[in-house]
Amino acid sequence: MSASFEFTPENKKRFEEILRRYPTKRAAMLPSLHLTQEQEGYISPEAEQYIADLLEVPVVDVREVVSFYTMFTRNPLGKHHIRVCESLSCWVRGSDEVKETLEKELGVESGGITEDGEYSWEVIPDCLGACELAPMLQLDGYFEGNLTREKVVELLKKQAASKTSGK
Amino acid sequence: MPIVKNISEFFGNENARSLKWRLEHGGYESARKALREMKPDEVTETVINSNLRGLGGAGFPTGRKWSFVPKGTDKPKYLAVNCDEAEPGTFKDKYIVEWDPHRLLEGIIICSYAVGIHTAYIYIRGEYVRPFERLEQAVKEAYAGGIIGEKVLGEDYKLDVFIHRGAGAYICGEETGLLESLEGKKGWPRLKPPFPALVGAFGCPTVINNVETLSHLPGIIKNGAQWFSDLGCERNGGSRLFALSGCVNKPGVYELPMGTPMKELIYEHGGGILEGRKLKAVVPGGTSSAVLTAEEAEMATLDFDCLAKLKSMAGSGAVIVLDEDVCMVKALHNIEHFFSHESCGQCTPCREGTAWVFRILTRIVEGGGTMADIATLKNLGQNMGGTSICALCEGAAMPLRSFVSKFEDEFEYYVKHKRSLVEDRKRNAVAV
Amino acid sequence: MPTLTIDGQEVTVDAGTTVIQAAEQIGINIPRYCYHPGLSLAGRCRMCLVEIETFPNLQIACYTRAQDEMVVSTTSERVLSARQSMLEFLLSNHPLDCPVCDQSGECDLQNFYMDHGQYQSRFLENKVKKKKAFPIGPHVILDQERCILCTRCVRFTEEVSKSNELGVFNRGSRSVIDLYPTKSLDNPYSGNVIDICPVGALTEREFRFKCRVWYLASQESICTGCSRGCNISLDYNGSRRAYKAGGRRVMRIKPRYNPDINKWWICDEGRFGYGFIDTDRIETPMQRTTSDLEPSDWDPALARVAETVKAAYSEKGANGVGVIVSPQLSNEELLACRELFVEKMKLTNVAALNPWEEPGEADDFLRNADRNPNTKGVEDLGYSGDAKAVLEKAAEGEIEVLIIFRHNLADGEAGKLLEKAKFVVYVGTNWNATAERAHVVLPGATHAEKDGTFTNFEGRVQRFKQALLPIGDSRNDSQIISEMAAKLGYSLPASADEIFEAWKGISLDELSGSGSSVDPDTAVQA
Repeated sequence: MSASFEFTPENKKRFEEILRRYPTKRAAMLPSLHLTQEQEGYISPEAEQYIADLLEVPVVDVREVVSFYTMFTRNPLGKHHIRVCESLSCWVRGSDEVKETLEKELGVESGGITEDGEYSWEVIPDCLGACELAPMLQLDGYFEGNLTREKVVELLKKQAASKTSGK
Repeated sequence: MPIVKNISEFFGNENARSLKWRLEHGGYESARKALREMKPDEVTETVINSNLRGLGGAGFPTGRKWSFVPKGTDKPKYLAVNCDEAEPGTFKDKYIVEWDPHRLLEGIIICSYAVGIHTAYIYIRGEYVRPFERLEQAVKEAYAGGIIGEKVLGEDYKLDVFIHRGAGAYICGEETGLLESLEGKKGWPRLKPPFPALVGAFGCPTVINNVETLSHLPGIIKNGAQWFSDLGCERNGGSRLFALSGCVNKPGVYELPMGTPMKELIYEHGGGILEGRKLKAVVPGGTSSAVLTAEEAEMATLDFDCLAKLKSMAGSGAVIVLDEDVCMVKALHNIEHFFSHESCGQCTPCREGTAWVFRILTRIVEGGGTMADIATLKNLGQNMGGTSICALCEGAAMPLRSFVSKFEDEFEYYVKHKRSLVEDRKRNAVAV
Repeated sequence: MPTLTIDGQEVTVDAGTTVIQAAEQIGINIPRYCYHPGLSLAGRCRMCLVEIETFPNLQIACYTRAQDEMVVSTTSERVLSARQSMLEFLLSNHPLDCPVCDQSGECDLQNFYMDHGQYQSRFLENKVKKKKAFPIGPHVILDQERCILCTRCVRFTEEVSKSNELGVFNRGSRSVIDLYPTKSLDNPYSGNVIDICPVGALTEREFRFKCRVWYLASQESICTGCSRGCNISLDYNGSRRAYKAGGRRVMRIKPRYNPDINKWWICDEGRFGYGFIDTDRIETPMQRTTSDLEPSDWDPALARVAETVKAAYSEKGANGVGVIVSPQLSNEELLACRELFVEKMKLTNVAALNPWEEPGEADDFLRNADRNPNTKGVEDLGYSGDAKAVLEKAAEGEIEVLIIFRHNLADGEAGKLLEKAKFVVYVGTNWNATAERAHVVLPGATHAEKDGTFTNFEGRVQRFKQALLPIGDSRNDSQIISEMAAKLGYSLPASADEIFEAWKGISLDELSGSGSSVDPDTAVQA
């Protein structure tokens, strides 16, 4: 856990720009937390306090927000994060197979991080808004669809290859 | 009815995202026309006459919604653009934002001008990363190109457009949950009245419109109210995007006139059911709408009034097709998992009810159900209806009531045999 | 002024009144959890749903404004069924650990369930586990499993104490009310969350497992913690002795609603500052014989005081006896002292206020720096001198007998002066250094043990009522003064009621009401 948190000089500038969009400081809460998570990978208690001070709100309000929204995490994730959609349209098209494949390939259950810290993954009951690609997942935010067992394996291989090639 | 291309014209066209290209292809002409040639009230009047209805799910007449905003107020007015599409099965707004973001921005200009708004926030769900990036690029280009900002399209009208990313909460698609989230809070829906038109974002009058709704405005201003209302059926103006998914061969977004027969969408445009299987049921407007049996679906037309008559709803235009191989017990279990996960937790019946229903269904699916559970589910479907601050609880109750009553035999079979009727049938078919 | 009909009864209310308030005005109490008149409207428990003609759905009475010609039913079949259903939802994950819950007996889950519950449970799932029974501050324990998420406590910390320790974390059925991890519910008003919690989620650490609430009796009283005069209820062991309270009589203090003074609230100092009523009490008169104080009967103790006073009086006249009364005394006691010492004996050295007293912490809500309940009464009744001048005269030997009520004047500069006083009579309730060095000690009664009035800093005369018998041999101070007067040859009334009636022209009972007060000059009931 980081002992303290503050925005990098560049993010401080971005934060100032964010503030100008809204009539209240508090409205910058979600963008500031996105920025924090982008910088740090997760939202630590120190970061919560930092944001509370910046926005002049009680720290308990920051925690309420962080715990309410599923995209904010208070724990570090893997270097790459995979979210598997198991909403109705994905489920009828085989999201169970995607889940099983990931569990087998990554060797950890949904919600876990691989030993090398490379991947974390989770199954989410929310619809990710890409039912035309069902079954689908989100890798670092981007959609990958029409998945089969083979495609999931391939996707992981490709990801590993791009890493070794330094991309 | 054939596919129409009012707002889906440029879907799949890699060029349409660029401002330059878009300006060469009719972009912002309607906004310019509104600003130069029309009074704000004329714009509103045109939209009222077009019968355009809110396409996020509620179907409220758009022009009338604008007319609730007080005229002579000293307070700033806001436009909140609802791009938090998270209703399972819904992905149409994503197409607009990804492929034709300038159409949305043009709609934003027209709406803002009609209502006297100078600041618009586009609330986009946090999971939409690529759509966000494309939208952000379009907004940047629009500022740089003098489309929005201090002088909209060179006219004496100021409009700022900001993008506000959500962070994973279905409830923020509810109008006032969205406003709370915009203001930096948990997305707890507000008590109403006051409605947002009077007290909305930051305590000021606010219009909240869905992405698709706004994207229809350029067409309406260009071609007139009559043109749009003639496209659809009575009281259901124009065309709309239908997001088709589930057990069909060609899932995707199809723009069709309101009132198009459902079977046309499924069999013609959607290419029919996967592997030639039989249609069993259709979820016609996102998972919070009541499920239709195959027979009902065959009769249904895609408009607000027909689906309301069938005691379901057109909702977000998300049509999810379920074929004969889908176990309806597990399908409901899936849907109620979503609602219990997404309940904000404010109201007692929703917080406790959605979780309880999900747990009963989990127990049934795991083989531990009893006949009494089916009665309890039916009763909870009644008790959860219409008693909360927002519609989420009712949204969880609608599929609950309809799945259990329309497919009761599957629930009873599952409880008695601790197995799925559908899966048993499949197994027997294979064995035979 | 809309006129509406609720359950067949017509009622006309002020514009802006909500249906729940309108119903209260005609004695209809609509069940509620999240609604609290002192907090913002949440509308989330859905317990107060009522049926209103022309509305398709049931409406929450706490949020719906009364309108002309509205027809409301709080008892229709739909309403009763909705209530039953809400209770079923609320109990679905509730641990039902009522036998070990201090709220038991005054719990709105229990009460409303008795009225509207469905009794037969259909909930077959395992209950969701949350954090149970952990202290969240010096006075409060939180049990998340019992919590029904009405958020009254959270709104209190946001809106009233403005201390923001509590929040609602997570969402849906995983929602919990909790502290921000590094915080503690440690603000001057923290105890109020215990009162407003409608269930057993927030309970009092001091009261925990000490007594079942149905053995408690309750009496209307006034807080003596400062000059605000917050209205309180003294909850004490009535029908049965507390088995775990070490013989304590007063078990807890609760705020009593007074719209003009404290509304629904009191501070923690007031709430938890009742210990003196049952600890370190002077239970019997004492006399110093040789060097030690020894217990005595009332008669010889009072006789000794009277003799000494008489001797001093005959030697030095009205200057020979000094009296320091106290802003801790009731108006009736102050009146009795004034009649005896000022009007009858014409003593010249009579004072009331202690100039060395440290002011307490004050804020802009309830707590006043003056930690005495009746400083205004002292002023209104004409006491002006301060204790320093009287003490100096006692130290110089000019005053032969010094009678001190309540004050502790044994420390610091005062103590040095007091050491030189020839003969000290102490009238008080609790042992302190002044009592220990007195020659005669007369045990008085606390406000819990007598009737009377205090005048708060704004001039409101407020009544407190006797809950307990005076401890041991202690006596009501006006009785002590009356008996002292008798020994000195004067006749004074002994009862607070008589004194008050002579003063205000009305009886104490006419004053009381529920937390009402009169302006001391006009004696008009507020």
